[in-house]
Amino acid sequence: MAIIETFGLSRHFGKTAAVEDLTLAIEAGEVLGFLGPNGAGKTTTIRMLAGMIAPTKGYAIVAHHRTDRDVEQLHEIVGILTQMPGLYNRLSARRNLEYFASFYPSIESQSQVEKYLKLMGLWERRDSKVGTFSKGMKQRLALARALVHEPKVLFLDEPTAGLDPEAAGEVRQLIRTLREEGRTIFLSTHNLSEAEILCNRIAVLHTRLLALDTPEQLRRRFFRRQIIVQLEALDAEVTDKVKKLPFVQEMREEGSQLILELTDSERNRPDLVKAIVETGGRVIGVSEKQYPLEDVYLRLIHEENKNES
Amino acid sequence: MSRKRIRNILLKEWALLFTDLNSAFVITLLPFLIVGQAILYIWVAFRFGGESMLTAQVFQTALQKLVEAMPGVTQLADKEQLLVLLLSQFNLFLLLIPTMIAISVATFSIVDEKLSGSLEALLATPVRTWELLLGKALAGAIPALVMTWISAGIFLLVVSGLGWGDLIGFVVGTGWFLTLFLLTPAVAMLSFMLGVTGSSRAKDPRGAQNTALLIILPVFALIGIQITGIVWFTPSLILVLALVVGIADFITLRAAVRLFGRESIVVEWR
Repeated sequence: MAIIETFGLSRHFGKTAAVEDLTLAIEAGEVLGFLGPNGAGKTTTIRMLAGMIAPTKGYAIVAHHRTDRDVEQLHEIVGILTQMPGLYNRLSARRNLEYFASFYPSIESQSQVEKYLKLMGLWERRDSKVGTFSKGMKQRLALARALVHEPKVLFLDEPTAGLDPEAAGEVRQLIRTLREEGRTIFLSTHNLSEAEILCNRIAVLHTRLLALDTPEQLRRRFFRRQIIVQLEALDAEVTDKVKKLPFVQEMREEGSQLILELTDSERNRPDLVKAIVETGGRVIGVSEKQYPLEDVYLRLIHEENKNES
Repeated sequence: MSRKRIRNILLKEWALLFTDLNSAFVITLLPFLIVGQAILYIWVAFRFGGESMLTAQVFQTALQKLVEAMPGVTQLADKEQLLVLLLSQFNLFLLLIPTMIAISVATFSIVDEKLSGSLEALLATPVRTWELLLGKALAGAIPALVMTWISAGIFLLVVSGLGWGDLIGFVVGTGWFLTLFLLTPAVAMLSFMLGVTGSSRAKDPRGAQNTALLIILPVFALIGIQITGIVWFTPSLILVLALVVGIADFITLRAAVRLFGRESIVVEWR
């Protein structure tokens, strides 16, 4: 069941369109990666979905609430990690969380604050002033703030931006924990490998929605599946035999590798190996060529730019 | 729930206010500077300008108003009547304390949060705009009010110390108490509401402070029209004034809520 649905959601600032005609649905418990270049409208979309700004056209429903009408109720059930941690540096970590928790009537703030300070690994530093925290610690505290009221939907706006690799890894691990808990997460990021590791589906936005699918399906949209057969050595007999196999659509040689496109990559693989072995070829390994998500993303953006110009 | 939220905003603001050296300095020391300055002016005016002031047309008119308001002063010598006139301005002069603290503290209350990004996080919670603005205004107005009352007490002690204790009975009356406990709270709230509103509308900290400077002008106007004898603020007039300012507080809060652009704060401040 969709927990987030948008219907032609658009937002213009003056004559400039930040988001145009965005229609998508996100299932409960899903982690959606939201990718796009700077200025693509990712933050604007998050703000519209979190009820912080209104759309100029279209509408969105998040957990059964219209984001432009039921703002107060919506704020009780969504959590947002903004790009800036936005914490009070002169207050302690605990005081910061207690303050934000106090705005939610349905929670027992003390126990929630304790729970999330412990989950974020900040319990030992609970009484330290936030101004003394590292950037990574501040980001974890901001994440705790977004979670303290147990939101149904969590919006994360570039949660690892500006963090060193260790701190970014810690935040990613926390997001993974939240995913395992079955939370619905809307993750805006520039980090494609992060999106691939953490997300069930990826949406690519460039003012308009360019693509929405699983990373695997997105790859298939642009790149055909290719099987790599690593041989001890290539000989003409083997290549001739393979080329003549009815399910081989394309074949090329690269060193001692054969790179093939098959009619059915899964089913034809055993027959392919059998044919090579029968011809005397010595197979070291069979794998599938992996295209990085970055290639897919760049092709999408490149095509969109070409269409625009 | 609203009461709890406002209390939490208030407590958080105080925690921030009193851990900031500048704000703590303004709240605790500025009132004493204002009291000291007022007493110095009165003493200098009385000590060196007494005779010339007595003959000045503007003060004769004011003294006439004073006599009408407090017939008992006719028993006093002319110079002592002048001193009562000068000392009687102090309750209006006290209004400068909350207004000046508001300029310094309230004007930054929203701007600071805009700059740090905490306001965006706060606006993502179910807090209502009026709760936020009222909490912030009260957080500044309450300490300013307490400091005003302490300053009034110090003023009376210093006046006694200067040997003018006999005149306190003329200065401290119904009007004094109405000013202190009705008009000052109303003015304090108005100052902080205007300060917070200016802060929420400002594009930068300087803009916030420039807007807030306008708050102080009406207080100077009040002092000016009383000391020049245009109007003498009798208890009933102070009561009316307090009511008018109280209504203005309410209207300002409503206007502030309307003017508080949640969207522009979220979109324009990054």
